[in-house]
Amino acid sequence: MALLRATHLTQAARFLGCFKQTHLTQGFPQLSPCWRTISGGEYRRPGQPKEYTPIWKQFDFQKGVKGMQKHFALLKEEFLSRWTGPEGRPLVEHMLEQTRVIWEFRGPKSLENWTVSSDREIGGRSEAFLKLGRNNTTCQLYGTLCSVAPRDGETRYSGYCTLRSKPLKGAFDSKKHHDWTSFNTLHLRIRGDGRPWMINIGAETYFSHQKDEIYSYFLYTRGGPYWQDVKIPFSKFFLSSRGRIQDDQHALWLDKVNTIGMTLGDKADGPFQLEIDFIAVCNDRAHTEEFAYEVYKRNPEV
Amino acid sequence: MNCVRCLLRLQSLGIRSPSVRAALQHPAWLQRSTAPSKITRHNTCSQALRRFHGSAACSKSQPVSTDQEEKDKSLVTYDDLFEKVARDTKTKATFNRVLEVFCKRDIRRRGHIEFIYAALKKMPEFGVERDIAVYNNLLDIFPKEVFVPRNFIQRMFNHYPRQQECGVQLLEQMENYGILPNVESKVLIVQIFGEKSHPMRKFQRIMYWFPKFKHTNPFPVPRHLPEDPVDLARLSLNRIANDLDAKVTVYQTPCTDVSESGEEITFPLVVGIQSPDQMELLAKHNPSRPVFVEGPFPLWLRNTCVYYYVLRAEPLPPKEKVEEPYDPERSFYYPLELDLDLDRDLGEDNSFDVDEVDEGPVFAMCMTSRGDQATLNQWISGLQETNPILGSVPTIFRLDAGPTELQGVSD
Repeated sequence: MALLRATHLTQAARFLGCFKQTHLTQGFPQLSPCWRTISGGEYRRPGQPKEYTPIWKQFDFQKGVKGMQKHFALLKEEFLSRWTGPEGRPLVEHMLEQTRVIWEFRGPKSLENWTVSSDREIGGRSEAFLKLGRNNTTCQLYGTLCSVAPRDGETRYSGYCTLRSKPLKGAFDSKKHHDWTSFNTLHLRIRGDGRPWMINIGAETYFSHQKDEIYSYFLYTRGGPYWQDVKIPFSKFFLSSRGRIQDDQHALWLDKVNTIGMTLGDKADGPFQLEIDFIAVCNDRAHTEEFAYEVYKRNPEV
Repeated sequence: MNCVRCLLRLQSLGIRSPSVRAALQHPAWLQRSTAPSKITRHNTCSQALRRFHGSAACSKSQPVSTDQEEKDKSLVTYDDLFEKVARDTKTKATFNRVLEVFCKRDIRRRGHIEFIYAALKKMPEFGVERDIAVYNNLLDIFPKEVFVPRNFIQRMFNHYPRQQECGVQLLEQMENYGILPNVESKVLIVQIFGEKSHPMRKFQRIMYWFPKFKHTNPFPVPRHLPEDPVDLARLSLNRIANDLDAKVTVYQTPCTDVSESGEEITFPLVVGIQSPDQMELLAKHNPSRPVFVEGPFPLWLRNTCVYYYVLRAEPLPPKEKVEEPYDPERSFYYPLELDLDLDRDLGEDNSFDVDEVDEGPVFAMCMTSRGDQATLNQWISGLQETNPILGSVPTIFRLDAGPTELQGVSD
């Protein structure tokens, strides 16, 4: 009976995720020895040693002063912007706006909001780079894709390149989110080379086991010298976790959007490029669909 | 006969899926569905033998056939089997023969998991990775009805996990190659793993999501690209031009000629595209400003990369821009421009607050099999016949040292 209760406790601890497992399972064998840490930083490849930097080597006085300046300025801005209106904009604008440009690429400063990564971090051989376009008014993502899986005995698939926006941060690195509730469509102006991409939207989640959940949809490029306007309704985005479509789908909640990303992984080895002019959200009044996939319980339940 | 019995048994298990019912109505189809009938014959044998299935050690001590003893005990046995049977030709027929050889070799299909994993890995080599019939034959290797859970405890726990994992892996490979399983696969999965097993779930998921995303691509690429380079160039140019009025012109077909001095000269392929709008733009172009031939730019059609070149001009400086008034006679039915002074609310403003990217107009596009300046000059001179202004405009070549072939990377 006692053992039974203990296992229940362990289950609960694993479900909550934020407990240290050792507190509850002292004296009992751990049920799941390899369980990815919740607050893990970078992806650690299988077989790679853990990096450890002592705390006195991470300290830098100059950096601290700069950080304080930045964060107090942000705090002041945050405090004062409330007097103008919600999110620092007048109320009329907040209520009536139909389009909002979220990211545009004008100048080298705008590239700082983005993270580029490729399968190099899991041991692959793809490369991805980000640079400004010819007139410094667009951003160009380019590189080469290579879908040879790393030979570490565990990884089966490889070959991706990703561009991801950095999450918004308020003063003192507090969380801030994009609130897109008054819009229903994502609008991008891109120029690709004919490859299919995937748009990923990461929203804020409540439980930590949901941290890998992203909403995805396809972005098909035509190729050629002309710009392409792509409108994707948010209702089309489907839920996936760690690259697998989930059975229980529900619509993307737009009130707390953290990141947006673009992923290439079409298994065609070779160079690629994608040019982005801007990423915006708009309100398409002709689009009334709430969610494109079934949310009711299906029978047979998949 | 055996499969009919299997299906009847399935029906008694409570399957009411329309597919199985359809299968029961067409016994002729059944004959086809389990085409390697030898495999099904072994089925019943394995069922009958199950009673004697004691421990693994016991069964190992009784060799089924004599050639089993000669078989080496290395881990790569099944890779070897593929190499041995299909030594010179790697086709679908030889692949199926390997499967047959494996099924005949051991009545209990011992080691079928390892064999299926090896076969999955070998499939692209044999060129059968997109063949649904081959996948069904692979599924047919699993012994039937052995892994179906028989009571609630088995159903509750993961019954035969390695076998189920292997089945899921097989379905995943189908998924990765974009193949939709058919009714035959479903019947096989139900026979092998039962109705609520993991492979069945995987099957259901594929059947749910695949048809949903089948037609999402607004710019579809055909599965088999045309072999002929002219057709390929025509297809890709039509794709990037994005204009139904655009006209493709073949300026030169690829051919080989022997010159007077006996040297062989190959004429490269030159195919260009230009739409009436582009011609109009080019006619309005200021002849004192140069036009540029740029390239090569890549274009991907599934796994094939082709390169194209563009004839374009630099963007006009702001002072030279002329706002062209609308010609009122362009449309007699409704005015193309309304000069009403009505205030628009912010809520009616659907435009985006961004600066336009200032880029020069594109006048024409082309594809060649050789990307040097001489070949592109040929294209420009061909364009001159329809656009006489090109004779007086200086043309500058801005070519990157890139791949020069039309078909750079191909799968």
